[in-house]
Amino acid sequence: MRLLDLVTLVLSNLNRMRGRVVMTAMGVVIGTSAIVVLIALSTGLKQQTVDNFSSFGTLNQITVFSRSRFGGSSDEDTVSLTPEIIKEISQIEGVVAVTPYEQFSGQTTLRLNRMQGFGSLYGIDPSVVPYMGFELAEGDALLSRNTVIIGASVGDGFSEVTTSTRSTSGGGDRGGPGGNRNGGMPPGGGGIEGMLFGMGGGRSEEESTEEESTLDLYGRTLLLDMTRSNDGETDTRTVRLRVGSVLESTGGNEDYNIYMSMGDLESLVTWSNGKRPTWNSSGYTQLLVIAEQDAQITLDVTKEITDRGFNAMSTTSVVESLSSTFSLIQAVLGGIASIALLVAAIGIANTMVMAVLERTREIGLMKAIGARNRDILSVFITEATAIGLLGGLMGVLIGAGVAQIVDLFAAGYLSSSGSEASSVVVIPLWLPVFAIGFSMFIGMAAGIYPAFRAVQLDPVNALKYE
Amino acid sequence: MAFISIRGLRRRYVMGEVIVKALDGVDLEVEEGEFLCLMGPSGSGKSTLLNLLGGLDSPDEGSIVVNGQEITKLDQNGLSLYRQRQIGYIFQSFNLIATMTTLQNVEFPMMFSGVSRPDRRRRATEALIKVGLGDRIRHRPTELSGGQQQRVAVARGLINNPTILLGDEPTGNLDSKMSEEILNMLVEVNRNGQTLVVVTHDPRVSGYAGRIIHMLDGRIVSDDGKH
Repeated sequence: MRLLDLVTLVLSNLNRMRGRVVMTAMGVVIGTSAIVVLIALSTGLKQQTVDNFSSFGTLNQITVFSRSRFGGSSDEDTVSLTPEIIKEISQIEGVVAVTPYEQFSGQTTLRLNRMQGFGSLYGIDPSVVPYMGFELAEGDALLSRNTVIIGASVGDGFSEVTTSTRSTSGGGDRGGPGGNRNGGMPPGGGGIEGMLFGMGGGRSEEESTEEESTLDLYGRTLLLDMTRSNDGETDTRTVRLRVGSVLESTGGNEDYNIYMSMGDLESLVTWSNGKRPTWNSSGYTQLLVIAEQDAQITLDVTKEITDRGFNAMSTTSVVESLSSTFSLIQAVLGGIASIALLVAAIGIANTMVMAVLERTREIGLMKAIGARNRDILSVFITEATAIGLLGGLMGVLIGAGVAQIVDLFAAGYLSSSGSEASSVVVIPLWLPVFAIGFSMFIGMAAGIYPAFRAVQLDPVNALKYE
Repeated sequence: MAFISIRGLRRRYVMGEVIVKALDGVDLEVEEGEFLCLMGPSGSGKSTLLNLLGGLDSPDEGSIVVNGQEITKLDQNGLSLYRQRQIGYIFQSFNLIATMTTLQNVEFPMMFSGVSRPDRRRRATEALIKVGLGDRIRHRPTELSGGQQQRVAVARGLINNPTILLGDEPTGNLDSKMSEEILNMLVEVNRNGQTLVVVTHDPRVSGYAGRIIHMLDGRIVSDDGKH
């Protein structure tokens, strides 16, 4: 039997029982549209979350801590992040550069004329600056003695101060006092719900009384006031820092960072502690490893460093684990929706069994005039597949429509809550293809049993069937 | 060897707890181009013999050789091809598909033998013209009289140029005028060299046949053409 003849025959057979075909296909429509809506929604949420995470922190950067920082069992287990370790890590395949990433933990204040500001001071190896993924707004991205690179938001934090001195402290809180401003992402975990729906709006009200202005600090010289306590006596020193470069905003907390050379940082630490830091022997607090621009390489390098006894984290690994969590959610939601399709399959099987019964005589005739078993099989299986296809097509259209409505509501909700209105529903290209293919498969599978019943009919009896 | 050669054919059915011997040792030879009429009361086994000859049923014992091919040894697929190429059927109740036009009904067997659509159209139209229904090709079977429907069935039965045309009470549902029409058509077919085997109760049919076989209880009791 030719394919075109098969299709023509099947279409005419479906047309005779079109009422039942439409009702049967409705089951498929419901199942398919549920699959489309649920997967589109979970894909959208996954994409948004991953995008939000990816937007802060360069994806190929890996932060390395020595194990004890996270409560290693004993000192003996701890491997310090010494210059030798840096050398060792930089030998790992896929590593482009390694630098200490040391935060200054003393008490500091930034001054410019009568204004005060804040920023987190980090020392890095000047030679790795080209690999840091810095996007420059202004300047030449060079770190030299007393010349710094600042994040985009450092200039925003300057304000006229009339009374007391504000201090900028480092010590762990990477966001500094301005961490909750402008929707800046809170540092290190927390606030997942903010990430899910774009940047949470609301500026903090508590500092709104202060006069603030956005300063272009490029080329300016900032004064860094440092304070140290020595046996109850307070000692102050001021260092001049020239802003050699200003970075583009990344939207993350690194917008408040001030990068200086390790040499500059060392002199600050030496003055603050009253002695030279023992980085060579006791190691740095953390390292920044820059891997090749490839997610898999970044993950491999992260794993390799972890295997060597350090704590290594990268945005990529966070994104990766989030992504796999969402894939699981997707699979579960898809599975739930598939149950509807299974029910629809029973409906298709039922309709086809009825069709076989009604057309018993016709099947007998087909056999008498020379139809082969495979012709009869293909007629009934194709009819069932076509019901699946019809339901799948309608289901995809309706599902896409419902998804758009959901998106519209979500966008309305998000914009009313002050977030950027971005799509929470994403229909990837594979989804309609998969949904239609799956519903056809369901139809085909449902048609197998009725088709075999048709084939097994005894032609003599079938021709006598009333 | 004869065109059709039947040897020791037996066919039993189990009905509840009773075993019915539908055919109980039938031997028969038919030459090409014969018009054979199978007669006998209900349950004599004539329809069973027709179905076995048409490859719709398989015997428990015995053999049927048609045109040198032992069809009782064919598998399902082989039997389908045999029915497609060698056999044309005409039924008492016409067995036309109500949702198809007369043209589509006549085309239907050619769909399974892989004839292209334009060829099918042409041949089916010619066949309908030949049976005098050239002006009815777009009609549905329900819009035709019984005689016309049976003419469509004859056209369908002959469309694949079968070597044997089998008729199971082809005039059983027709009045005498219409029966006459169909019988004349069958005689015409037979004149063109086609072998006809017709099961009937109708004495008028036997009047047209060249050879009459009477059956009783699954056996042949008389054969006026026995050589």
